[in-house]
Amino acid sequence: MIDVIIIGGGPAGSVMGCYLSKAGIKNVLIESAIHPRAHVGESMVTSSTRVYEEIGFLPTMEREGFVHKHGASWHDMNGKEAAIWFNEFPQEGINQPYTYHVDRSRLDLLLLKHAQSLGTEVIQGVTTQQVLFDERGYANGVRIKVAGEEVDLHSKMVVDASGRNTLLGRQLGIKKKDPIFNQYAVHAWFENVARGNPDTEEFIHIYFLPVERGWVWQIPINDRITSIGVVAEKEVFMQYHGDAAGYFNHYAQTNPALAAALANATRVNDFKTEGDYSYSMEKFVGNGYMLIGDAARFVDPIFSSGVSIALYSAKYGSQYIQKALESGDYSEELLKPYETKLRSGVSVWYEFIRLYYKLLPLFTHFIQSKKYRIEVLRLLQGEVYDRKEVAVLKAMREYIETVEKTENHIFRSRLTSIPIDDLPDFSEETIAKLE
Amino acid sequence: MSTQDLLGKYILDELAKGRKSKISPQDDLLSEGIIDSLGILQLVSYIEEEFSLAIPDEDVVIENFQSLDALSSYVDAHKD
Repeated sequence: MIDVIIIGGGPAGSVMGCYLSKAGIKNVLIESAIHPRAHVGESMVTSSTRVYEEIGFLPTMEREGFVHKHGASWHDMNGKEAAIWFNEFPQEGINQPYTYHVDRSRLDLLLLKHAQSLGTEVIQGVTTQQVLFDERGYANGVRIKVAGEEVDLHSKMVVDASGRNTLLGRQLGIKKKDPIFNQYAVHAWFENVARGNPDTEEFIHIYFLPVERGWVWQIPINDRITSIGVVAEKEVFMQYHGDAAGYFNHYAQTNPALAAALANATRVNDFKTEGDYSYSMEKFVGNGYMLIGDAARFVDPIFSSGVSIALYSAKYGSQYIQKALESGDYSEELLKPYETKLRSGVSVWYEFIRLYYKLLPLFTHFIQSKKYRIEVLRLLQGEVYDRKEVAVLKAMREYIETVEKTENHIFRSRLTSIPIDDLPDFSEETIAKLE
Repeated sequence: MSTQDLLGKYILDELAKGRKSKISPQDDLLSEGIIDSLGILQLVSYIEEEFSLAIPDEDVVIENFQSLDALSSYVDAHKD
């Protein structure tokens, strides 16, 4: 009997496979595509390193020559640049002051192979149609389609790592759209991008755009290729009636530093679009099942948090799966602490993202202030789990509240419409449970 | 140097960056774009350090930052 079926072979699913295999748990991973396949999400935060190290994958990252990401840089509309270096604050359990930019088709293939080498049975090119439940309402397998035939596979537990496809979330009707963020991204790879000063050319560069919640990423994929993506609210994109190139080219010209970076650039692949940006499932666990990575929750990628969330959800999730298998209790109740833990971490990201968009000049100020720089850096490194208090978020919130209250405050006109009250995920309740 | 001279020099050297060669006491620093939003927070940090005073967030208002005159009166009124 299979212990665990994992749906999806992106970073979340493969890393789940790694942890389970290392724990001697028999697991089968079913991936609908055949790797390598393209995927968005090409930059990471340094906390990812801890997981790569634990699963023995760090030597592969180095051997494969992925671009080292030593920091991040922001460019405002007036040509001002503000940068942070990860090495300014050492992270416990991490011995390198950088993370990586990746070609996801390669990273995801390598992670899948790594899971396989540790014992995960990998099936590629097979679509999972649905998760099966027994008469007590416990997930007990999946229905797959092989060569036109429907086949049922049974297991003790099911992990949904289907990514933005959110297979189980849709099947159970528990997927909720984010009430605030509904952005749209248009992205492609380019050659001959002027990446900036030699000391920061391998950073991620973020360019502000003159529309609310609008920004552009510049991510070096290798010596030659740079990924560029334009993100804005969906309504802004809709004004272009599906003309992705027109939209991209217009906004690429609106930030002078970005226009300069792209002056001699040539596009080397087709524009791709990503919609339906942010969402969350009502719950991340149920009887016999667990949701990890993008299958559970997706937040705006401005801080490169996606892969890190995928990896940590697999790490923490695997611990509770192990507990469940040892005790024979696969109930929602037993798995719930995983959800609480993941939510608390993702909520820190989400709160950070909201305050960031609420008043852009404040973020640039905080990363330049002596008092808050290191604290902001810790968030940008991805240290969001097991934190009882995040002082810098409190300080950002207080500053914003002052601006809202003060009639003639210089930043009054810079406040955006993002609501910062009524935190749906960051409620007192969630925090209290964690403690 | 007087408060106003110090402030004027800092704004010209660090914030205006070539956008302006001279600032008069009544020039509108905000609407003329001599200092932008990031510049204001830089200026706040500079004043706090140079004049050893803490500017409360609610004092970062147009009246106090509109011109060199306004700014230096504010600083003179609040420093020790």
